[in-house]
Amino acid sequence: MPSASEPTTAPATTSPATAPPTGAGTTRRRTADRVVQVVAVVLLAAAVLAFPSLAPNPYILSAGVVVLNYAVLSTSWSFVGGFTGYISLGHGALAGLGGYGTALLVTKAGLPSFVALAVAALLVAALAVPIGFAALRVRGASFVIVSIALVLILLLVFQSWASLTGGSRGLVVPRPFPDLLRPEHHRVFYYLFAGLLALALLAWWMIDRSRFGLGLKAIREDEDKAEALGTPTFAYKLVVFVVSAAFTALGGGLYALWFGDLDPVFQFSILTGSYLVLMALLGGVRNLFGPLVGALVVGIGLEYFKVEFGDTQLHLVATGLLLALVVLFMPDGVLPAIGSLLGRMRPAQNSIREVTAAELRDQRVAAAGAPAAREPVDAVASTAGERAQSTEERA
Amino acid sequence: MSERSEVPSLATDGLTKAFGGVVALDGATVEFRHGQVNALIGPNGSGKTTFFNCVTGMIRPDGGQVTYQGRDITGAAPHRIVRAGLGRTFQLCRVFPRMTALDNVLAAVRPVGLTGLLRGAHVRADLDRARGWLTRLGIEHLADVEARNMSWGQQKLLELAGVLMSDPETVLLDEPAGGVNPALLDRIGTLVRELNAEGRTFVIVEHNMDLVMSVSDHIVVFDRGRPIAEGPPSLIRSDERVLGAYLGV
Repeated sequence: MPSASEPTTAPATTSPATAPPTGAGTTRRRTADRVVQVVAVVLLAAAVLAFPSLAPNPYILSAGVVVLNYAVLSTSWSFVGGFTGYISLGHGALAGLGGYGTALLVTKAGLPSFVALAVAALLVAALAVPIGFAALRVRGASFVIVSIALVLILLLVFQSWASLTGGSRGLVVPRPFPDLLRPEHHRVFYYLFAGLLALALLAWWMIDRSRFGLGLKAIREDEDKAEALGTPTFAYKLVVFVVSAAFTALGGGLYALWFGDLDPVFQFSILTGSYLVLMALLGGVRNLFGPLVGALVVGIGLEYFKVEFGDTQLHLVATGLLLALVVLFMPDGVLPAIGSLLGRMRPAQNSIREVTAAELRDQRVAAAGAPAAREPVDAVASTAGERAQSTEERA
Repeated sequence: MSERSEVPSLATDGLTKAFGGVVALDGATVEFRHGQVNALIGPNGSGKTTFFNCVTGMIRPDGGQVTYQGRDITGAAPHRIVRAGLGRTFQLCRVFPRMTALDNVLAAVRPVGLTGLLRGAHVRADLDRARGWLTRLGIEHLADVEARNMSWGQQKLLELAGVLMSDPETVLLDEPAGGVNPALLDRIGTLVRELNAEGRTFVIVEHNMDLVMSVSDHIVVFDRGRPIAEGPPSLIRSDERVLGAYLGV
């Protein structure tokens, strides 16, 4: 422990004696965790990549494309919802804007499909600046309401502005690969979505481990406190909202190129945003692969329920039930629940806490008779004893 | 402590703030000197915390001016005020509950530029500095513990570690002794003295008179949103207006 009189602006580096208790046990456990994680990721990636070859028919393959689209969108959502805790129900609208933007740039401006996709994503990102500027001023329930308003406003605009958008008749998007047969078309887009998903996951991971990410998580925990520690919270939120919007727009635009037909009712639907929230919450918003896992579960569930219950609204009931179950039994999501389950199956950790050299010394010092340290307290009190003693020595 | 500079560190001029009909600050003009441990005392509702909130940009004053080291910081965003060198703790201590103690402290790192932002949050230099503060405050053994699992006293120390990590020249402490056991109280007092000796200015809002009298060089007494007395502890202890405000005599 640095002595009291040491003139430190920045405190001294920890000496070996007071090094924190990252004992060999902890390190080994971490390495084991890392191995499990890497294996899980490799298996997941292999399963995703192998799926098109295993899919028995084009319908199943197209369902796979839909699920991957959901995975891209919910991962994109999680840049805002996961890091900052701002729950947006309006991300469906950002995907819709990406879709319509791409479609219109192809049909009206004659851009090549994938150039149109990139330009549309940039335009949506630019548009996200004023949207975020307005929406991110409010927190909690108010932010949710504002995000819903965004969807409803855009729905009205795109339905009414029929001369540009085709209105309720819909908008046909020319296919980027007109020569491909339907199964091949699905296969190509499946891999395009997988690539986009990988890109979004990579960006999420980079932010997650960065100082920027730590600032965003501080905002999620306590925004005023983060600001009081020097984080420019509004700028942080705005930047991550724009990044989220760009990825969401890419997902929506790619969907437009794949599906080939846009209708405002589906593109600007609150249901889309709700599904994204459900997926992310279900998988676990604090986890890189949470939204992806959630999208797999909910996306597959949705397709299954639709096939089972046909045109009825029962698939919504089933989805609602799923959400209720997750919130009740796995409030942090599936992945953290699995994590803690694995943790319980691990060979028993020490139930008696390991004592570090520093703590032992503190205890000795306390026992040596600083009266302040009499109380049966944690290390705080005993180190206080030590401090008192060192002050005496100086005096 | 012999040669305290006479430069005002933090000063306010006619600071006013009303919440509805309640006047929390009523033209408060105060000056805190650089390099001193200043205390701000007064009965409940006398405007001490509102004063802190106005000074640190958490709320915007209705009128008046706040200057820090000669710069006008009235109404600036809180993060800018922190970056100018003015850090604070909160009355009901605030930490990030679902972050480890280490991350709580690291959250105060100030990244510069895009590369600074995208650098890993756990780079060596930052980690060493953060662990150093945890060690200094005696909670280094809790580095990997989530803040919500720490005791009240430990959380108070953690909050202080975070504030110190942002390397403020002036530290505002809002009731550091609230809900704290005598041993820890002692420790906080010693720490304030040490940090002051290293060149940090303090402004402390506190009800615990033992702490106030033992650590501060200069005491400002608030009543009804404005200072009614100020001076060294020896003078304040016997000031009739202070006794009146506190005891209603």
